[in-house]
Amino acid sequence: MTVLAQELWSELTPLRIRARQVAQGIYAGAHRSALRGAGVEFGGYREYVPGDDLRWLDRRSWMRHQHLLVRQFETETDRTLCLIVDASASMGFRGPGAPATKMAFASLLAAALARIALRGGDPVSLAYLAGRAAEPVGRSSGREQFERVVASLDAAKPDGDARVDRGMVDRAVAWLDRSARRGAIVVVLSDLIDLPEDAADRLSGLVSGGRVVVVVQTLSPAEADFPFEGPIRLRSLEGDTVVETDAEGARDRYLAAMAALAAKWHDAVVARGARFVRAKTTDSPARVLRDIVRAVR
Amino acid sequence: MAFVSSLALLAALLVAVPYAAHRLRRRRAEDQPFPPARLVAPLPQQTRRPSRLEDRALFASRAVAVAALAVLGATPLIRCSRLSVQRNGGASVALALVVDDSMSMRVAFAGDNGLSRLERARQGARQLLASAREGDAIAVVLAGAPARVSLAPTTDLGAAQQAIDGIVASDRSTDLEGALALARGVVSSLPQVDRRIVLLSDLADGHPDGPPLDDPGEGGGGAPVPVWIALPELRGDSTDCALLRADRRGIRVHVTVACGPGKSAAGRDVVVEDASGKALGRGSIGHGSSGEVTVLLPSDDAVPDRARLTGTDAIASDDVAPVVAEARRGAIAVVADTSGETVATGGAPIVEQALASLRADVDLRPIPAPPDRAADFADYLGVLLDDPPGLTPEQRHAFAGFLERGGVALVALGSRAAAAPLGASLDPILSRASAWVPVDRSAGADLGSAVGPLVGSVQSLADLGAERRATLDPDDARAFERLVNWTDGAPLVARRTMGRGEAWIVTLPFSVDASDLPLRPAFLAMLEGWLQVARQRATPRRSDVGTPWKFAGAGDVRVVGPQGDVSSIRDDGVARVTPSLVGRYRIAVDGQDEARVAAPDERELDLRPRPYSPAAAGARASGSRASVDASGEVALVLLGLMALEMGLRLWSRGRDGADSLAMARSDEA
Repeated sequence: MTVLAQELWSELTPLRIRARQVAQGIYAGAHRSALRGAGVEFGGYREYVPGDDLRWLDRRSWMRHQHLLVRQFETETDRTLCLIVDASASMGFRGPGAPATKMAFASLLAAALARIALRGGDPVSLAYLAGRAAEPVGRSSGREQFERVVASLDAAKPDGDARVDRGMVDRAVAWLDRSARRGAIVVVLSDLIDLPEDAADRLSGLVSGGRVVVVVQTLSPAEADFPFEGPIRLRSLEGDTVVETDAEGARDRYLAAMAALAAKWHDAVVARGARFVRAKTTDSPARVLRDIVRAVR
Repeated sequence: MAFVSSLALLAALLVAVPYAAHRLRRRRAEDQPFPPARLVAPLPQQTRRPSRLEDRALFASRAVAVAALAVLGATPLIRCSRLSVQRNGGASVALALVVDDSMSMRVAFAGDNGLSRLERARQGARQLLASAREGDAIAVVLAGAPARVSLAPTTDLGAAQQAIDGIVASDRSTDLEGALALARGVVSSLPQVDRRIVLLSDLADGHPDGPPLDDPGEGGGGAPVPVWIALPELRGDSTDCALLRADRRGIRVHVTVACGPGKSAAGRDVVVEDASGKALGRGSIGHGSSGEVTVLLPSDDAVPDRARLTGTDAIASDDVAPVVAEARRGAIAVVADTSGETVATGGAPIVEQALASLRADVDLRPIPAPPDRAADFADYLGVLLDDPPGLTPEQRHAFAGFLERGGVALVALGSRAAAAPLGASLDPILSRASAWVPVDRSAGADLGSAVGPLVGSVQSLADLGAERRATLDPDDARAFERLVNWTDGAPLVARRTMGRGEAWIVTLPFSVDASDLPLRPAFLAMLEGWLQVARQRATPRRSDVGTPWKFAGAGDVRVVGPQGDVSSIRDDGVARVTPSLVGRYRIAVDGQDEARVAAPDERELDLRPRPYSPAAAGARASGSRASVDASGEVALVLLGLMALEMGLRLWSRGRDGADSLAMARSDEA
């Protein structure tokens, strides 16, 4: 098959089919330790984080070592997959050399993750950060749920300005707090650009509820490598930022700033026990999916 | 250049305007969506957006258009470096192109890398031909010695082009005066009123102190034929040294080195090499413009092939000379018995004294009798027999071989010849014995019968004061070509060709006892004419390049020169070959092989140009000016440039549109 035919295939093929293809061969595995917290079988200790139930605080450890540890227990229960897809305007960027927009790439990952979870019998829910016609999908399982998730992802269009709508993250977190049980897996798919300053803390704070949080930064190759040359005039898709600069002179500083942004998110989420995965839209979706599944385990 | 032309050309400075416009034009950077724009630091643009291809093309197009406009404004007022013929009132012209193909034209032309003077001269000739029109008569004369007409006047421009293309470099000396005289001769008879001679030469003919060359002379009808020295830039002094000869004598090779006046080959060496290029010996050159270098060979068995001058100079072809066994000067054998002379002249026989007085470049060798072995004739150009008492059979056989191989004999018949003993005769010159008969003392030569070398001095033979003379058998008399007759029609001086040689007879002996012939000016003229024939018949093994070799009586002549076969031409049945290159020639004459060497003319080493008047070097020839009206061509170029700019603009617009569409589709996606 030629390259052109492959691109046509990926453009024209429905998301549900592409998601099935990507998810094919990837399994989450039997998750005996699906949920730590209240249970019958001791599952180990971990550092106390604010918000933890004080009933599981290990008093002996506190008295002996002055360490706040929380006892964990395992239970045989399902693990809800909560997908948060950034549908702000910046996710509609494609850039030179990219096969699709960041939103399309994130949607493909989300649908494939949903496919994997539903195949394992775990319920799935879907929420958005901003977006037009982006209707959240409530927690459920079964074949129909996959169709609902795919239909919602298909309908969602990149829109909204995170720098103006400062409450989009709060709304998503609040929705998750309500819908995601302890032990749920939260996967955030976003470019992490133009999000509010406290977005990292807010999203990684979901870990305190006994959840597994994976933040996937999705960038286009142009954003990752800054391949421009000569004098350029760049306009952001959120906010009114317009920058005129010299590409060669600004490249190093930009890459440093982008690395600092990723490091900030990485440090913030890892410090809370969450995971951080970076991906480019030119990466193989299957490989990124494996990285996410590996991070969840 | 006229003021108007200069002013028009100054308009070319306006090319700075589109340049400045293109340099100052600042393209606004295109807006590009980029979500993390806030992470990009705004910087002052240190580099301008590079000009796109269409910008450069547009600039080039506009700049050339401005320059073309300037040239268009100046033409035809400007003079172009391209040679051309401008005719008076559009009339046809008769043009004699005198191209110097001498050795000095091998020097690299100072104005162009890798181009020799000859090639530049041919370029000029082609340019002149390109400006010729139908009806113009073109003649091509070559100035390498001997000057010769390469192409007789013709209106066939294609033939003229072929003649120019056929001019090749040679090592000849220069004969500018002869070439100009030839050129005047060929154009003077042409019907065109406007006749010109174009001289394409470096003017280095070895006479830097000679009179100026551009003397118009007299053309047909008394009209002067102007000489236009079209490429004065070909002139230029330079250093050239040459090996004139390399003679082997035993284990020594004597090499003669010569340089141009004031030049020296000091510091350079002479290397003698064998055929494979292996050095057999080396000698250093002292100071001075000429001299002889002796190079010792390692042994008698060494076979030197050539001598080579190390280092470089203006002409490379004359830095190598073939090594030959020493070639001696030609000699004349004189057999004269003065024992019976009653008039005391003192010293050598009168004929020897007469030959010596001619100061000919030959050795005189008095011998008592003609050689009776063929090998003994080898050193002689000619043999003079003064009243020989016949020849023995051995002498006749050797003599016949000598004549067959190109020797020349002069036999004076007298009383001894008529009284030859039995068994002795003058065969093969005369088949029958001559008779010694009385004659009236007032008898003399028939003045009207003189031909050849005796024409100018035959008056002195009107009264010879002879009492007797020799007479030939009628059959023998018919075999001879008369140079001058007695008044009764009998031959006085006659000659006949024998093989490749020639025999002359005189029916009086060279004795003042027998007649006043040896005392008359015609006697010296006769001897000089005979010597000239002797030299021509027996060309020495080494001669100056350009000197013709004649092979009288030869049927098949094949010559192989330094660069392959050399064609021979026949002139009155005599084969003639002119060596045009320095080097060794292998000649097969009727199956007999011999080797000859063509050496450079020492005068050709003098590269100083001959003077000329400035008027002849200007762009004027007979009041005409060499200029090219290129207005039409320039206007066409201008039109093409305008079309090109329009095309570029359309292409640029189409490309911008395609880019915008592609960007819009990308954003939409």
